[in-house]
Amino acid sequence: MRLKGIAASPGIAIGPAFLLKVRDFKVARRTLSSPEEADGEIGRLRDAVDQLDADLEKLSNDIGHVVEGRQIMEFLRLLLRDPMIHRDVEERISQNLESAEYAVSTVLQEVVSKFLELDDPYIRERVADVRDIGRRLLEKLLGTEKDFLARSEVPMILVTEDLDPTDTASIDTSQVLAIITDLGGSTSHTAIIARSMGIPAVVALGNITSSVGPRDIVVVDGIHGQVTVNPTDTELLFATEIREKYIEAERRMAENTGSPTVTADGVKIELSANIEFPQEVALVKKYGGFGVGLFRTEFLRLLNRGTETEEDHFRVYDGVAASLAPDPVIIRTYDMGGDKFRKGMAEEANPFLGYRGVRICLDNPEEFSIQLRAIMRASRHGNVKMMFPMITHVEQLRRIREILTNIRQELYREGIPFDGGMPVGFMVETPAAVVALDLLLPYADFVSIGTNDLTQYTLAVDRGSPLVADLYDPFHPAVLRQIDRVVRYTHSQGKWVGVCGIMAGDPLAVPLLLGMGVDELSVASSLIPDVKKMISVFTTTSAAEIAADAMKMETGRDIRAMVFSQVVGRYPEILLDESLGVRK
Amino acid sequence: MKTRTLTVPNRLGIHARPAALIVRKASEFRSEVFISNGVDEINAKSIMGVMTLAAAGGSRITISTDGPDEETALDGVCAVIESGFGEEMLP
Repeated sequence: MRLKGIAASPGIAIGPAFLLKVRDFKVARRTLSSPEEADGEIGRLRDAVDQLDADLEKLSNDIGHVVEGRQIMEFLRLLLRDPMIHRDVEERISQNLESAEYAVSTVLQEVVSKFLELDDPYIRERVADVRDIGRRLLEKLLGTEKDFLARSEVPMILVTEDLDPTDTASIDTSQVLAIITDLGGSTSHTAIIARSMGIPAVVALGNITSSVGPRDIVVVDGIHGQVTVNPTDTELLFATEIREKYIEAERRMAENTGSPTVTADGVKIELSANIEFPQEVALVKKYGGFGVGLFRTEFLRLLNRGTETEEDHFRVYDGVAASLAPDPVIIRTYDMGGDKFRKGMAEEANPFLGYRGVRICLDNPEEFSIQLRAIMRASRHGNVKMMFPMITHVEQLRRIREILTNIRQELYREGIPFDGGMPVGFMVETPAAVVALDLLLPYADFVSIGTNDLTQYTLAVDRGSPLVADLYDPFHPAVLRQIDRVVRYTHSQGKWVGVCGIMAGDPLAVPLLLGMGVDELSVASSLIPDVKKMISVFTTTSAAEIAADAMKMETGRDIRAMVFSQVVGRYPEILLDESLGVRK
Repeated sequence: MKTRTLTVPNRLGIHARPAALIVRKASEFRSEVFISNGVDEINAKSIMGVMTLAAAGGSRITISTDGPDEETALDGVCAVIESGFGEEMLP
């Protein structure tokens, strides 16, 4: 079975599936191919029942001193061994060729509804037990018991609805070959994390969680956004070949990472990396990035849950700055809210229009100062820049300037070294920041365009909603014109502009951004060799012509097609991995 | 096949705990054991069956057994029910 989703992180992976969690004991129907498979399925069911029964027996002994607990366990075991249930389930498997999971869930749901119809309140209360047994049995069948990853001997392909940002803390990259999800888009948190970890990912697959059984072999093609469940021998062979080619191509790309990034006419471009965790500095170096153009710092909050001290911040920033020096690192202050780290915050109807980024930080100036002071102290290496997310109002920049002035005075009084000339910038990620740039820019030394948010705010498209995901398009003329406008105005003020969204790593967007005159591109580490190659095939003049042409066109699709025709002659390799850029 | 009809003697009837006691007893025998309330007949070795029967205190049920040990099975299961499951009995 082959499924198409959105390519979220490049690479090919082949391995057994691991389902992260089942929320209810409802699973989708999966039909078996033969009576022989049905026999195997019944065997699998009986094994699961035996295992669960053993678990319950142990649990029953453990709580043996509690009479009621023991009774409950015995009741659960009787449910588990119920001959009526077994007859119904096994009949469904052998006659209707239903999967064990589907048969179990259907039969137990029938039992639940039968129980709910009864007048006897004592029996109706037992519905919870039926659900409990159902869930436990499905977990056994699906192999979704918690901390399973920790115990698994082979690396797995993680299958889940959507990766909760906090789940990512528990992911052991040595155990995860790829991530595939029901929901999400190419800019969802799952995608960002996967790219930053160099793990292939395909998102927005609809209901992959119900199409894949535990230990099913899955081929994940993060280049074309394709997932094949239980591939045929031919498909498997083909995937193995592609994977080897991809690994080989990656290796060759990584070889010439020492050279600087220059255009065909010799103009040097700053090509740096987006990182999420300090450990990724190694990847930045491996792929030859010129420092870090976006260091997201939210993981510190994730790890410390609000108890992080100035020293916690400082150790991380100072370490990253020291290992990158003299290459630069742009540290972005906390960008909580939006789709990230909403736990513990009040519910909002529109989180992306709500409490996020610098809005939260400025409401908690003491806490904010802790982070700012730590960044300021790390600036002693001379290569640190500081950047603020979600700036929409001049007042915000004024307040930040006051806080920074105070911190500088404190550090000076305390005799702590820092870089007095550390550049300070902000992210341009709302139409407000674009339109009012002349009011905001006097407070900054540089700006960095966050194309993901700028696209979603400009087009009023929630990038996480699959219903409107096709309207999300960074090549939309409204987005490109804003970028163009920001670059021209910022340059007129003698300042520089970076781009740190997904767009900066899109092969088709690179010539446009180059042509508009963007000074710095910041992309996921693994994309650096690709983008470097792209930059090297264009002269600044040819890129400027392409950008000027794009400004005259009506649709994102036309612009993409035009750029593609320009790119393909200079960089034929793009045909091989065309889907990297030519997403519709 | 042997059958016997009796009255559920405890006030709360056959709820979860009594059902478990009946199933455990019935499962001790090789014979098939059924309980009928006059409308449905269920397998007494199935906790689901016994519970969905939901026999109220004071209701009349018929036990039937069929197999090599049908005599002792019938006596055994009836004894459990007649004991009232150690619960409060109807007056």
